[in-house]
Amino acid sequence: MSTADLRLAWRDVDWTGIVLAAVMAVVIIGPLVVVGLWAFAEVWRFPSLLPQEWGLRYWGMTLGRADVWAALSVSLQLSFVVTLLSALICLPAAYAFARLDFPGRDVLFLSFLTIQAFPRFGLLISIATIFLTLGLVGTFWGVVLIQLVNTLMFMIWIPTAAFQNVDRRLEEAARDVGAGPIRVFWSVTLPQAFPAIAAAILLTFVGTFYETEGAWLIGAPHVRTMPILMISFINNQLVVQLGAVLSLMLWVPSFLFLLMARRWMGPEALGRGLGG
Amino acid sequence: MTDTATSGGAATGRPDASGRVTGLILVALPVAMVMTMIVWPIGLAILDTLWLPGPDGTGARFSVASYRFFFSDGYSLGNLWITIWTTAVSTAILMAIAIPLSIYLRFRTGRAAAVVQALAIFPLFVPSIILAYAFVRVLGPNGMVDIILANIGLPRIRSPYLTVWGPVIGFVWDNLPLTVVILLAGLSGVSTQAVEAARDVGAGRIATFRHIILPRIGPSILVAASFVVLGLFSAFTFPYLLGPAAPEMMGPFMQRTFGDVLDPVQARTQAVVTFLFCAAFGWFYVRSIAANRRRMAR
Amino acid sequence: MATLTLQSLGKSFGTTAAVTGVDLVVGDGELVCLLGPSGSGKSTVLRMVGGFEGPTAGRVLIDGQDVTHLPPERRPTSMMFQSHALWSHMTVAGNIGFGLRLRGLSRADVAQRVDAALDTVGLPGYGPRRTDQLSGGQAQRVALARSLVLEPKILLLDEPFASLDQHLRERLREEVRDLQKRLRITMVFVTHGQDEALALADRIVVMDRGRVQQADRPDRLYRAPATPFVAGFIGQMNLIAGEVAGGRFVQGAMVLAAPVADGPALLAVRPEALAVSFGTGAGRLHRVTDFGSHAVAEIDLPEGTRVKAHLPEAPDAAPGMPVTVTPRRHTLYRDDRVLWVSDTAPGAAPVAVDA
Repeated sequence: MSTADLRLAWRDVDWTGIVLAAVMAVVIIGPLVVVGLWAFAEVWRFPSLLPQEWGLRYWGMTLGRADVWAALSVSLQLSFVVTLLSALICLPAAYAFARLDFPGRDVLFLSFLTIQAFPRFGLLISIATIFLTLGLVGTFWGVVLIQLVNTLMFMIWIPTAAFQNVDRRLEEAARDVGAGPIRVFWSVTLPQAFPAIAAAILLTFVGTFYETEGAWLIGAPHVRTMPILMISFINNQLVVQLGAVLSLMLWVPSFLFLLMARRWMGPEALGRGLGG
Repeated sequence: MTDTATSGGAATGRPDASGRVTGLILVALPVAMVMTMIVWPIGLAILDTLWLPGPDGTGARFSVASYRFFFSDGYSLGNLWITIWTTAVSTAILMAIAIPLSIYLRFRTGRAAAVVQALAIFPLFVPSIILAYAFVRVLGPNGMVDIILANIGLPRIRSPYLTVWGPVIGFVWDNLPLTVVILLAGLSGVSTQAVEAARDVGAGRIATFRHIILPRIGPSILVAASFVVLGLFSAFTFPYLLGPAAPEMMGPFMQRTFGDVLDPVQARTQAVVTFLFCAAFGWFYVRSIAANRRRMAR
Repeated sequence: MATLTLQSLGKSFGTTAAVTGVDLVVGDGELVCLLGPSGSGKSTVLRMVGGFEGPTAGRVLIDGQDVTHLPPERRPTSMMFQSHALWSHMTVAGNIGFGLRLRGLSRADVAQRVDAALDTVGLPGYGPRRTDQLSGGQAQRVALARSLVLEPKILLLDEPFASLDQHLRERLREEVRDLQKRLRITMVFVTHGQDEALALADRIVVMDRGRVQQADRPDRLYRAPATPFVAGFIGQMNLIAGEVAGGRFVQGAMVLAAPVADGPALLAVRPEALAVSFGTGAGRLHRVTDFGSHAVAEIDLPEGTRVKAHLPEAPDAAPGMPVTVTPRRHTLYRDDRVLWVSDTAPGAAPVAVDA
């Protein structure tokens, strides 16, 4: 290569992108790396750049705490119950919205948007004052109810789109070779729509697992989920490492979600879903 | 859409008339949940805050006393103001970052662009509670930034932790992915050739942005801004963990009024005030999503 | 009006070279077509002239001035895009006048020049229309007006009619040709259709795999293709691989005089330059297609190549019949270059023995 060619190649490099990537890596990945370092630091005194002693002592300490296990158990129970109930309530409705004609269908479908159209915490307060009179505040089922409301929109909108996207000709072909309507639903419609429905179920599970505000408002102080425990660790825990270890543990469902989301949805699909 | 739905009734082997009934039965439960858990509480919150028991404790009647209290109470007004300020500043910063970033991502391909895109989407997969903890460890006292500054011999920063800037930084970090994603969806309607044609007739980068790109993504910017404003205005986690104790944002304020001060009427009043301030954004958000759906259904 | 000079222009994306060593001079008022299959690099060359891609090697000069590193908005070129690329949020007049307004012209001046441009492309009074009310052909005319109104030194066209139907494409092609002659504007036109190139161009640049294969007048490209690629790409051509030994090209039963050095060679014969006699020979008739004005015989040679020959009328011959083919005029290629061209006199074919 001549020097002129080298100069041309130099101009062709995406410097904006490299600078952006570097800055964003520091700002977005950097803080999480610091959390990761703390989780494995036994001694890290200011102003050393790296921990002086490394080890897993605080993992043992965190995993030995009863409140961590209790919170994990509550969080998992809550997520399973809410996801299951949400699927039972929403999936048949999604099928109806996609395939059946009934009066008021479009308006009812859009009514789920009201969940997104109000400032969330204000809405939670309005619900909580009613729960107060019903004695639901501080109970597991109170938290389940309030989480369930959060999941309605995604659990109906995503599967509805999935059912609508199933090619009618596939179903007609199945009818043509002699399958009955229920058989067609189980063998053709459901498998075709499954990836999107699975994504919605996963989104519901992960969303419920990390939901903080409803759980805090309705559940406190009796129902303690993992995020609520994390809040108390951030506010009151003097041993820094406990919060770091708990953060890493807390991140596991989100990380799994990240791996699966890469397969299921591109950013474009996500943007359209949000009305961009 | 109507005919796909009718043939849907046929595909499931039901006559149309019973398909109508079945449809209503199937959607009854979630619709009932929206009615009892969203519409009813909001309606009741508005009614109950305007329909207060008399001074002797008996006989409810119309009164704006709770709103008069809110709007004459210096502390409440301070909290409202800090909420508006935080929301406005965070949204402005977010847009200032997300718009150029999305334009870069839309019109550049290659390895660097792919990395930038992955990084911009990544916070979507980091729960905000973990971010809050990471924030304290990085920007808090003796955090990573202080460590680095001390190592190169510079004085400590004035930590944004527990100041108004704490929630702002958290919000921007947390909302970047969805903002970029919404803007990218809007930008996908701007063809590369349309931009090249503008450059060709003499438009520089700024003129191209102003005359070609902005008119096309204006609606997307408004949708993204509405989404962010609705999320921020009554946010709880970041202001509670990273923000100052007083004045505080509406989220923690409502929570304290409800849980610690045990004044549900005033808590609901505060909630209705947040509804009022966000009404325009909520309306716009719902309207544009509904319009979007109709466009896609066609 | 201007001359365009490309000096050893090259572009590579990462390690793949899209364009290599393109040298070209487009004269004042000349209409040059870049012709090639998709992926040949023709659009990349055009986009480098327009400033939409930065070259990784070489220079672009307009009237002797180096514009290699100027952005599109600072080049005296104008591009017409394949998808017309009209801005749908502006009216027709808004689209055409955008460049003028950027240059700070007064409202009245803009309006007047927009109207003149609309007249030029045959769409008077279309100014207030919205772009989505235009047909495909009208949209391309508006795009042309948008380019012309700025009086560019060089007009670049990137397969502008590819999305139109055959009839409309031919009409717009003629309009562009007339306009170019009338305004004496220098034009570079990219296309993958040889008909379009042959109909339009003063000169055609045939490209393949990022390299210029031949730059020549349309008739020269047909009669004297410089490489086997051009031979096969422009019109129909029978290409038969064989060996030259002792001054003769030999392939199967075919032996032709070839006074060149020994080695492998590629024989190129146009279907209309292939004489056919039925009844004897090592070839076998595969099929005859009657086109009315002429007939085409497809013949399997003994070594497996299938060649085409034009006949004045369909012969009375059944598939499988023995056939002898004799090139009346042919070219030999070796290493992508012309090795030898046979005598042009018809009937005076050199030794042609068909056993």
